[in-house]
Amino acid sequence: MNQNNEDGKYTAADQMVVAGSHQIRPDDVIYVGLGLPFLSTLLAKYTHAPDSTIIVENGIVRTTGFEMPRATDTPGAQFMSDQLTGLFYISSLGQAGHITTGFIGAGQIDRYGNVNDTCVGDYTRPVHRWAGSGGANDVMSFCQRSITMLRQSKRRFPEKVDFVTCPGYLDGIQGQREKAGMPPGTGPAMVITDLACYTFENGEMVVKSVHSSVGATLEKVKEEVGWDIKVAADLQDTIPPTDEEIRILRGEVDPKRIWVGGKRQPIRQD
Amino acid sequence: MSKVMTMKEAVSRFVQTGDTLFISGMQHGEPAAAIHEIVRQKIDHLTLVSVLVATANLLIGEGLVDRVLTGYINQDERSYAVAKAKAADRSPVYEEYSHFGISLVLMAGQMGIPFIPTRSEIGSDMPKYNKNITSIECPFTGEPIGAVRAVNPDVGIIHVQRCDANGNAQKWGTMGVDMEGINASKKIIVTTEKIVDVDVIRRDPNRTIIPGFRVSAVVEQPFGAHPMHLAGCYSGDMWGYYFDTGPKENYESYIKDLVYGVKDWNEYLKKKADIKPTGYFENFKIKPVESEPIISGY
Repeated sequence: MNQNNEDGKYTAADQMVVAGSHQIRPDDVIYVGLGLPFLSTLLAKYTHAPDSTIIVENGIVRTTGFEMPRATDTPGAQFMSDQLTGLFYISSLGQAGHITTGFIGAGQIDRYGNVNDTCVGDYTRPVHRWAGSGGANDVMSFCQRSITMLRQSKRRFPEKVDFVTCPGYLDGIQGQREKAGMPPGTGPAMVITDLACYTFENGEMVVKSVHSSVGATLEKVKEEVGWDIKVAADLQDTIPPTDEEIRILRGEVDPKRIWVGGKRQPIRQD
Repeated sequence: MSKVMTMKEAVSRFVQTGDTLFISGMQHGEPAAAIHEIVRQKIDHLTLVSVLVATANLLIGEGLVDRVLTGYINQDERSYAVAKAKAADRSPVYEEYSHFGISLVLMAGQMGIPFIPTRSEIGSDMPKYNKNITSIECPFTGEPIGAVRAVNPDVGIIHVQRCDANGNAQKWGTMGVDMEGINASKKIIVTTEKIVDVDVIRRDPNRTIIPGFRVSAVVEQPFGAHPMHLAGCYSGDMWGYYFDTGPKENYESYIKDLVYGVKDWNEYLKKKADIKPTGYFENFKIKPVESEPIISGY
């Protein structure tokens, strides 16, 4: 697709990050995973959500911004935190219902918002292996709402994932999450890709807005989904980044340009 | 009673073939020096309990690991450690949990109970392939809830900023699964940047994460977590380490020169300083910031 908008000020990845930022509420408590969700969360922190709380799995709780990390735990992410603790404590905050938003990346996502971070093909003889859940299963099991971010392709959007690493709405039948033992009122709320944003209606993913600012069309969006996806009645264009948002993203959130085009840039080795 | 000994002695006395081994760190202050010593002593058939421990890849690559309990680990054969283990028919079996799941199996172990309930993992496919995750009914409400089985590692190894000779160990910064992992372990090896006087510990005893009576060995090893960072001590070179041990040629020369080719960690540090560009270790110096001391007394 066209990665840049007409005047080349921002890319589809920037649009993803900004759309993610717009999902952060001013008083959100966010369990955030590495990568683009970090960019969105910090962008929100530096714009409309200065009072939000950022939580990282290794045990970091903070209400101030920090240097964009390359890994989940870095000295910069630890430094001058509000609280340093551990994984058990962080996850318990989530399980007890105190984390309002979980924000993660994903390998694949399906029609009912189930995420696969484990394998393509049979588990015992996989065609492809990802590293596994990490904190993602925990986020989608019990954070109040979860937001997932991934690049979109038909391969990444199968109708049914080969392995459910993180539960969405399972088979899309109401009450299934609660029946398995997950807290009521939790589950995927939004999916953000380089083409569009999606919400869930009755447990099923629907197209909510299309990134027309970077050349995406509904036709293209549908092409890159592995089932005949429904479209929200009030389909919109995704709100494009403002000049100010792009300036803050480049200048304050990730001035070293660690995450460019949605990918972590390699460190040059001697 | 002093438990101070060399790394070589601590590992040979307390880590045995077939052990379940908890490795602390989760990217922060991993006991890298201890891991190198286990590789040198070729202690095998290990079960690892680890969360994001970058430097544990050597144990897998050298074929020393039968089983890994984890929430997240690279199984991609583009990592040479993974490919090497597979080629030697020494790929570990992976017992997969979520991050929280791992912290819970250790927490149950620490608490001395057989299992612990959880709301994680139960909606996923993990229980289909991991018999140590299941669902039960709450005995009080009858509602469904997940359950994971307790793990008590035979040995836990942790690297800390400071510890006294008796084993009272203090670590700060992010704790990952260190608290529950080390407290669940039957035998404990503490490696420390510095052995401090017992009064240093006793002036700030809230910071002690494991009491001396639970500890088997104390090893003083400056830079013992390199190439990972350690809060208040040094920053790290995790990405450099990935490069040094990722591709086949790099991995093999690292193992030959920097693990088998040295007698201990101090020699490793010296040799690495020679191999790397001038000032390599100086780059990890931090700008220290002191907190207000806590006040005790009566």
